[in-house]
Amino acid sequence: MTAIETTGLTKRYGHDVYAVNDLSLTVEEGEVFGFLGPNGSGKSTTIDVLMDYVRPTAGSATVLGYDAQTDADEIHQRVGILPDGYSLYDRLSGRKHVEYAIRLKDAEDDPDAILQRVGLAADAAARPAGTYSKGMSQRLALGMALVGDPDLLILDEPSSGLDPDGIRDIRELTLEHAESGGTVFFSSHILSQVEAICDRVGILDDGRLVTVDTIDGLRDALGAGSTITVTVDAPPSGLAFDDVAGVSSVVVDGDEIHATCTEPTAKLAVLDRIRETEHRILDFDTRQSSLEDLFSAYTHPTDDRPRTEGRP
Amino acid sequence: MSWRVIARKEFEDAVQSRLLWGVVAFVAVMVSVTFLIPLLVPALDSGVLAALGGASEFASMLVPIVALVAAYLAIAGERESGSLRLLLGLEPSRRAVVAGKFVGRSAVVVVGLTVGFLLAGVVAWAVYGTVPAGAFLGVLLLTDALGVAFVGIAIGISATSATRSRAMTIGIAAYLAFALLWDLIPQGAHLAVFGGPPGASAPAWFVFLQGASPTGAYSALVMNAIHATDPSYPAATTVLDGPVPFFVEWWAFAAILVAWTVVPLALGSIAFERADLN
Repeated sequence: MTAIETTGLTKRYGHDVYAVNDLSLTVEEGEVFGFLGPNGSGKSTTIDVLMDYVRPTAGSATVLGYDAQTDADEIHQRVGILPDGYSLYDRLSGRKHVEYAIRLKDAEDDPDAILQRVGLAADAAARPAGTYSKGMSQRLALGMALVGDPDLLILDEPSSGLDPDGIRDIRELTLEHAESGGTVFFSSHILSQVEAICDRVGILDDGRLVTVDTIDGLRDALGAGSTITVTVDAPPSGLAFDDVAGVSSVVVDGDEIHATCTEPTAKLAVLDRIRETEHRILDFDTRQSSLEDLFSAYTHPTDDRPRTEGRP
Repeated sequence: MSWRVIARKEFEDAVQSRLLWGVVAFVAVMVSVTFLIPLLVPALDSGVLAALGGASEFASMLVPIVALVAAYLAIAGERESGSLRLLLGLEPSRRAVVAGKFVGRSAVVVVGLTVGFLLAGVVAWAVYGTVPAGAFLGVLLLTDALGVAFVGIAIGISATSATRSRAMTIGIAAYLAFALLWDLIPQGAHLAVFGGPPGASAPAWFVFLQGASPTGAYSALVMNAIHATDPSYPAATTVLDGPVPFFVEWWAFAAILVAWTVVPLALGSIAFERADLN
């Protein structure tokens, strides 16, 4: 069964502001899915539609087979949500928050067990949530999401405001949930946070889904690529690398030339091509491409989308 | 049945934040003072019934403020802060949220008004030596009903407002309209029809218009309730010359008060259910 399915999902504000644009996405049950994109790319809006906080302009969404708009009740019984932009009840203690969640969900959980799972000590849980740091708030909100043993966990930027310990705890809880057969939908604007735990990732940019793949698939798409950065004496002109075999993209930035190479030998060919001109090479540097490069290539397509022409 | 869970939390919150005790103290002091005014001003009729009537007139100005303040942020406040996003993650039915908020805040206002009124009743009993139990109880229940009506109005406003400031603006406008400006409608209509203000007698439609606001309906019902204990005290329809038409019977005013509770609540609930909450 599919955990999340959106078909042509579109959310438009005003006449021409598209928060989400024709998004079609399928997340299978039991999967840990990373939903990646820069801030403002439409991740939270997509989640808001799944949770029926906002209604789509066009298209549809189902969660665990239920329609997000008409069956919100069924969905919320089976989903734990750590939303973006939430706030806690300042006067209510952490423990009272969890108790409230248990009563609202009509669940059987033990509040202390939940608090322990998310690493909130008993004395911290007894304090009003208004005194909490961002990290403690995030742990408490995650605890509330875990109430009722949901089939699907939707975590919107769960790592924001957390220290490395907190990020590791989130990772462990996520994997624990997946091992027990649950699905996790994990949004982030930082690739490295989803890289280690996600089976697949979808990259969203400006409301559009630009790619969906496994982490390995993304690595393959990246190839054994590397980047050579050459600094020349003056902003280069009249340079073309179209016919250099093994160069996938070139970006010129001031007096620096960044060439992405799919074959190791191409790097030397790039240097040779520059030396054929009147430009003098001052320095050069090579480095292995990372997934971050790929992510930024997808989400900043005007800078250096793979396989596009270098700017003159 | 999660509206019950929400209502209970709202009530506990009000106890914890001392909102409830604020309401109790405010109502007890203000109503006690109005009970004493007829004694301090020798020109006024100094009977305990007149004092009760005076207290209810004062309550018709006071209770809307208490109820609006106690409830106008119930939903808009959570919406602006973002805690609504957690709440709706746990209970997606927005109708249940509106119902829970309404019941919880109503309970706060009813308990606050009742305890405050009873304390004021003790003061009145100490001063006058007697309190007409029937009339006092009637006025108390009607005051509670007025409080609930304004909680309905406040929750309706809160459900339609995306921000605190908007809820406050509409809340203040509603208070001015109901508690202060409404009387201009029957007076203006009377002036337009008869060329002057009403004298000792007035037409039935004038009585109806006066009682068509929540506070107007409350005042009419209070007059009828006190009149029922002591026929020398005027009823809402005493100013009528001829027969009493059905639309100024006591139950018409009761229906008006119920409508003022339910209609804003329903409209707010519908608007809230359709809103994008982000």
